Amino acid sequence: MAKEVELDCMGEACPIPLIKTEKALEELEVGDTLIVLIDHSCAMKNVPEWARKQGHEVELEEVDDGEWECYIEKMK
Amino acid sequence: MKAFFEKIKNNDFYKMWFKDALPYVTGAVLLSVFQIVTFSTTGNPWGVSGVFANWGAWLFELGGGSVEKWFYFSSPGAQATLEAGFLNDPGTWRNLGIIAGALFAAMMASGFKIKKIKSFRQVIAAALGGLLMGYGARIAFGCNIGALFSGIASLSLSGWVFAAFMFAGAIIGSKLLVKYFM
Amino acid sequence: MKGCEVVAEETVRASSRASARGDRGKRKKKNQIPIAMVIFAVISGIGVWLGFKEDTLLLYWLLGLAFGFTLQRSRFCFTASMRDPYLTKSTSITRAVLIAFAITSIAFTAIKYGYFIKGLAIPGQGYVVPISIATAIGACMFGIGMVIAGGCASGTLMRIGEGFWMQVISLFFFIVGSLWGAHDFGWWKRTFMLKAPKIFLPDYLGWLGGLAVNLLIIAVIYVIAHKWEKKHSDGLSH
Repeated sequence: MAKEVELDCMGEACPIPLIKTEKALEELEVGDTLIVLIDHSCAMKNVPEWARKQGHEVELEEVDDGEWECYIEKMK
Repeated sequence: MKAFFEKIKNNDFYKMWFKDALPYVTGAVLLSVFQIVTFSTTGNPWGVSGVFANWGAWLFELGGGSVEKWFYFSSPGAQATLEAGFLNDPGTWRNLGIIAGALFAAMMASGFKIKKIKSFRQVIAAALGGLLMGYGARIAFGCNIGALFSGIASLSLSGWVFAAFMFAGAIIGSKLLVKYFM
Repeated sequence: MKGCEVVAEETVRASSRASARGDRGKRKKKNQIPIAMVIFAVISGIGVWLGFKEDTLLLYWLLGLAFGFTLQRSRFCFTASMRDPYLTKSTSITRAVLIAFAITSIAFTAIKYGYFIKGLAIPGQGYVVPISIATAIGACMFGIGMVIAGGCASGTLMRIGEGFWMQVISLFFFIVGSLWGAHDFGWWKRTFMLKAPKIFLPDYLGWLGGLAVNLLIIAVIYVIAHKWEKKHSDGLSH
């Protein structure tokens, strides 16, 4: 059963959201989804970009002013 | 009125110019253009951190201190800048402009949010990082803008030396960050 | 056939996400463009005021605005250009920074050469600074500091504009550190900088040679950066 895990990176500046995402993804199984909560406009760009380069399915949604949720489905 | 702003929000050109993040290369080209404009209109390339030393001197003087006898501020140029005051220093306005420009850009994209300090760890990281950057920039004749970007653009070998050691520092910093500040 | 599968997968994923979002409850997004308009008015007002005071102040204000706007819009980050190759093996910002170096070194050389052939004093030579142990130590300190604080000098200012309180602290201590550095500057100067060489590449290699060497260094680093990233993402994309 694929699970969804939430990772709170609110208020964190680069590169912390990215490192946390990297670590959190390592602990997930293929098919699981990681939801990264971000409120830093640089992380909103580099987290999805990094995850896509790693070959994961990525979707970014703007949930509020200056807040994003990045959905990363682990593909490998 | 509200409908008008909603309409702007869905406009393609608005999205292109104000909403979606520009590619890094576009950013590089635009910064280069403004760097060249800076050099050709003011006679000097862009610098950021030198101004902070002046801000420090003004704060120090506000607190009753005096930098008159400091070698760093002894040149006639530095003296004149300090004498003219905070609001008459062009560098001050350029740095404040960076804050205002970023604020406007963030608001225009409906992406502004006050991010409060989350933990004591952040305070320590910010304070330690700030001190290191401030001191380092003074003894290396500038920061990643004045010493690196402007140095390399000015065909000064110092820019490359700065780049090499700054890269080494960034690796050490990354290790420290992962170990102590996360 | 393959397309169909992908579409089906997308819908499943989208619906599961929608449910996840439902749990959290939808927040109401505000439109900040009206506030941006107010800020624009204030920015313009300050510009007019500065213009009456002195043209130079207005010019610097405009340049600062342009830099800040560009940095925020493109999420440009000099810190990331130095940190990411090590931390995440990503070099896209590094390569963008190199492109900026290439463009500006060509233009700067052209401007400087223009003064030179007219027999005028070459501008901006104050940025050709002595290379000494102080450069190495200072640059290294700066590199450590910017990664820990999450932003360099321009990055800190940009992030304050974005609403980061943490960066206000970092700016305050940047100022304190600058003052401290300025206080000790005399010692560094006497001990290391006086005998240190200032190396302006065209003095040694000629104008064209200096520029060519500068561009060559940029190109070599660009190739290394590209290969570095490819090396670490290869095998993952297949």
